[in-house]
Amino acid sequence: MATLNKTIKEFLRQKTILFWTIAWPILWVLIGSFSYTENVPSELVSYTRGAIAISMSVFALMTAGMANLPGNIAQDRERGLLSKLMSMSISPWRDFVGRILALVAFSSLAAILVVLVGYFCGARFSYTLIGGCQSIGFFLFIFLASAGIGMLIGTFIKHVHGAIMSGVGIAVVTAAVSGVMAPYSSLPWMLQQFARIYPVSSANSSITYLLVGKDYAGYNPLTTAQTTLTIVISVLLFAAGLAAYSRLCWRKK
Amino acid sequence: MDTIYTENLTKKYGDNEVLKGVNLRIKEGEFYALMGPNGSGKTTLASIIASVRSPTSGKIEIYGRKPEKAKEFLGYVPQENFSSPILTGKENLMYFAGLLGYPKKKAERIVNDLLNKIGLSEDADKRVSDYSGGMRKRLEVATVLFPGVKILILDEPTTGLDPSARRKFLGLIGEIKEEKTTILLITHIGADAELASRVGLIDEGELIAEDAPEKLKKSSGLKDVINIETAIKSEAVANVLSKFSEKQKVLETDVGYRVYCRDVEEATPNIVRALDAIGCKATRIETEKPSLEDVFFTLTEKMVREVS
Repeated sequence: MATLNKTIKEFLRQKTILFWTIAWPILWVLIGSFSYTENVPSELVSYTRGAIAISMSVFALMTAGMANLPGNIAQDRERGLLSKLMSMSISPWRDFVGRILALVAFSSLAAILVVLVGYFCGARFSYTLIGGCQSIGFFLFIFLASAGIGMLIGTFIKHVHGAIMSGVGIAVVTAAVSGVMAPYSSLPWMLQQFARIYPVSSANSSITYLLVGKDYAGYNPLTTAQTTLTIVISVLLFAAGLAAYSRLCWRKK
Repeated sequence: MDTIYTENLTKKYGDNEVLKGVNLRIKEGEFYALMGPNGSGKTTLASIIASVRSPTSGKIEIYGRKPEKAKEFLGYVPQENFSSPILTGKENLMYFAGLLGYPKKKAERIVNDLLNKIGLSEDADKRVSDYSGGMRKRLEVATVLFPGVKILILDEPTTGLDPSARRKFLGLIGEIKEEKTTILLITHIGADAELASRVGLIDEGELIAEDAPEKLKKSSGLKDVINIETAIKSEAVANVLSKFSEKQKVLETDVGYRVYCRDVEEATPNIVRALDAIGCKATRIETEKPSLEDVFFTLTEKMVREVS
């Protein structure tokens, strides 16, 4: 609870974190909802806005996991807090759980705000109760994959700015080339294969498929093989991040 | 029983041997200062005792246990400002209380007592980014004053503090000392080390001398120090002054030199004449008692820090 409280307060009190994780995706929802729907048939505008809101909420989760989390880890290391914690009789696991829970809370807040703004801009979704629950599950896998990548960055990149910039870079580039920020159908064949392997993108397509419709997903990401691949790679990324963080950040020098 | 005991402790980073067989014994309730220049291995030694680093070889015990089994007794304040600047002073302490497993009400009571003790009650709800360097350091020391901590390891806590903040901080350390807590102070400032009951001088990973501050000064053979400000500083001036100094050792300062003499009254006029002879004017001459920095210099010919 102590780490959860500290980390969530740190996230909520830093204007740059609030801007890049919440305001920036919201800005794109606003721009996308009103600029990119001009040539869309009127009966499809609300669903196009829905797809944009989903993509931007996914991007908010990516930024939180891949940039905010490593920034927070690197900052604690740089200012000697990790050394201080190592000298205390506390378990790295308690620190880890606190950080992750804080990230879950902050990411959820960011994603909900982005979707809400989308909704107020006219985004509509068509879903069943099961589809809605499945979508929440896919959001969880996006969170796991992003947090895993974030922990790897936070473990191996020692400086705060380096960690944050690497995280932002990875989030922006992978979102751009994997269909999170552009329609899957517009990607070249090579990038389409990457979009299917990269769990953030495939989970984004799954959510879009479930909440907006298959035309917006570009392919059927809900096949057993594709869903299994998404889940396995997400969990593997998270496990790799966790192993790196708990073994290397808390290792005696 | 020794609270901190090390035997032939070594630490290597690749081929660089940072600690070379350090033997340290600190008794319960003792205030021990470890003084040395940057790179002498003092921070490495402190972090090994604090269980942040592992030694390459040798033995280390805290209350007869391995450091990682004695963490509940240890309070380590690293050099860096580890408190979160965007949290308030109280929130920072509540964070540490939470980590130590105190329930909220008890944590609140202990934290309020600690804030009172370190003189930050009125600033408890200010963000740490609005604190001065001295306030921040006092807050960080409070993180090791929770009940149960018996050994404090303070790594260069006064570095960067202005004289007033430094005095306030050392006053706090004095109060903690009265509570019979064992204190290991890592410093490169002689005046801070003089507050300790025992001082260890460390250079290039070796403990070169260890005793009570006054005994260290006495055993060094230094009687008086002449602090000379000169119009010019040059090798020729240093050579002239070295003839009047113990073991021909002269410490160059920002504004002149420190000369170590057995008989100041006899040496001073001779020094002025000798300087005149080479065309160098002494603009100010003061006599002082030797400091621990002077003892360190006469033992190693190295400055612990720049002396002004």
